[in-house]
Amino acid sequence: MAGDDAAGAAPALFSARLNNIRPLVNMLRTIGFRPRATCAISSSGLVFTVEEAQSIVAQAYLRTDLFAAFSYNAALAREQSPDAGDEEPTTYVALPLDNLIECMMLFYGPSGSSGSSSSNTGGGIQSAALGGGGAADLRGASTAHIAFNGLGSDFELMLEERGVISVCRMATFLPEAAADLDFSRSPVVQQLIIRSEWLRDAFSELDPTSEAVGIAISSTAPYFRVSTMGDSGSTEMTYSKDERVLDSFFCSEEQENRYKLSLVLRCRLALALSDKTKIRINQRGFLSLQFMIPTDADVSFVNFLYAPLVHADELQQQQYQ
Amino acid sequence: MRFRALVTNANLLLRVVQSIDKLAKSAILKLTPEKLHIIVITDVDSGLQLWSDVAVNALFGDYRIESAHGNEIYLEFSIENLQRALRSAQGALRTTLKLTKKQGLPVLSLVIVNQSGTGRELTLSQDVPVRVLTPQQMDAIREPLVPDSQVHIMMPPLNSVRSIAERIKSMGDRVAVSANGEGEVTLRVSNDLVEITTFFRGLENLAYDTQPQDAGGVASPDRAPAEFYTAVVDMRNFLRFLQSYHVAPRNIVCCIIEHHALVFYVYIGSAGYSVGALNDQTTCGSLTYFIPVRQV
Repeated sequence: MAGDDAAGAAPALFSARLNNIRPLVNMLRTIGFRPRATCAISSSGLVFTVEEAQSIVAQAYLRTDLFAAFSYNAALAREQSPDAGDEEPTTYVALPLDNLIECMMLFYGPSGSSGSSSSNTGGGIQSAALGGGGAADLRGASTAHIAFNGLGSDFELMLEERGVISVCRMATFLPEAAADLDFSRSPVVQQLIIRSEWLRDAFSELDPTSEAVGIAISSTAPYFRVSTMGDSGSTEMTYSKDERVLDSFFCSEEQENRYKLSLVLRCRLALALSDKTKIRINQRGFLSLQFMIPTDADVSFVNFLYAPLVHADELQQQQYQ
Repeated sequence: MRFRALVTNANLLLRVVQSIDKLAKSAILKLTPEKLHIIVITDVDSGLQLWSDVAVNALFGDYRIESAHGNEIYLEFSIENLQRALRSAQGALRTTLKLTKKQGLPVLSLVIVNQSGTGRELTLSQDVPVRVLTPQQMDAIREPLVPDSQVHIMMPPLNSVRSIAERIKSMGDRVAVSANGEGEVTLRVSNDLVEITTFFRGLENLAYDTQPQDAGGVASPDRAPAEFYTAVVDMRNFLRFLQSYHVAPRNIVCCIIEHHALVFYVYIGSAGYSVGALNDQTTCGSLTYFIPVRQV
């Protein structure tokens, strides 16, 4: 397949190394509900984006300090897309996310034990000879190299653990135009940070038979309310403005918005891994959930962005028609 | 036709049967004056086959066999039934295996004698229904003829190979298994979107005699040691082989005959499977797995 890097050939566009692949796998699994993702590669790191039904966009931000080594050839990128202008050079590529995650979990051991966190001693490669030595049970804390050489070449992943090496090559595609859910286009009117464990409790109470989940934020009590209306009745959870529960509370416009529940629930894995969640709603009613996930290198972020089911303005317009 | 023997190593017999448990529902037992053979054929043309043999004196004492056909007896049985029966025989005081009839139908009867707390003997009988095969039927079942292999190599630990194979199985319905003369084995799976190659190194090759050449024939040149021989087999068959061990033994020899088959040999020692060396005096039997190369 194209893209092989022979010694002395043109320098690679992008390559990176990880001493332990588990944190990366966890981050990608939080957005792993779609088969395909777009990956944006720049000198700041990688951003993986998935989208569904023009109503939800999820992004995992992988900064360069999450990697043991990270190299992006900005000059080469500029050459490859000369009309990118002055923006920071970025390479966009679409790839099969489900296959990428499965490949990264190749050395996790029998399926079903992927949840175990038993790890290798240290993070280094153990190059014990196989076939005669001690128990060569692979535990998933593999070292990994990833590389990509521009559109038309494969996305390469090389894993190594206890002397066993796997090379995975994935087909890449032209990225599709992203759904237009630009959150920053409209001012933020509501914001709060909540400890994720509270939000997890709230989510587990939500009635799955309800089509929508309502989120209402107000500068008077109840300040934050999450509600559903399903077959067996309605549920409602409210939160006080207590600093132990809500942090950085801000509300310049009272609003209640409704979002498709099944899509909102896509964020549960990100929620489960995070310590805190920042909830923001803009004037158009779009909801941004930013999950702060602790990793070795400080905090990493996963963002979920939702379009509202019916915006308040549209409702008013309908009434006048 | 008569068969009766005292089971002296019920544990070994159970382990052999346990190895084949995942392969199929039924198997063939061929009893001869010297050896006990177990044969499993999943699909005559395209499936995995297992041919195994164990010396009778590693399993039995007071072994008596008699038949009109060279004192050989051929039986078809359900693996699960025999396994269940053998499990009840573990740790027994005395176990006897015999071919007999119950209610007019042939069965292999396992007579298990245990000692109760008070010292009395308790006898338990476990019957495994069998179908007796005629010599003609047995004749039709032939061990696959396979040309000499091009490479022999010791497999890496089976549980590692199995866990990797289970994760790559969704990527394709066939797997290319390759080996060379420098201790390397690779597995490759691919589909439209992804190709995965896994490399195992530092393995032991086995020396083998060079093939005799036909007079006047053109000898195919041996490849350089670093070059690979490859057999492309059905993923399902490969997985069946990998899953057929409860406790992964270490000494499995992999042989590749390109365009023909993938063959695995496991040598059985009287204490179990961990035979120190292939020519070990304690070797009392072997299991041979044949996986045919996939026909396009």
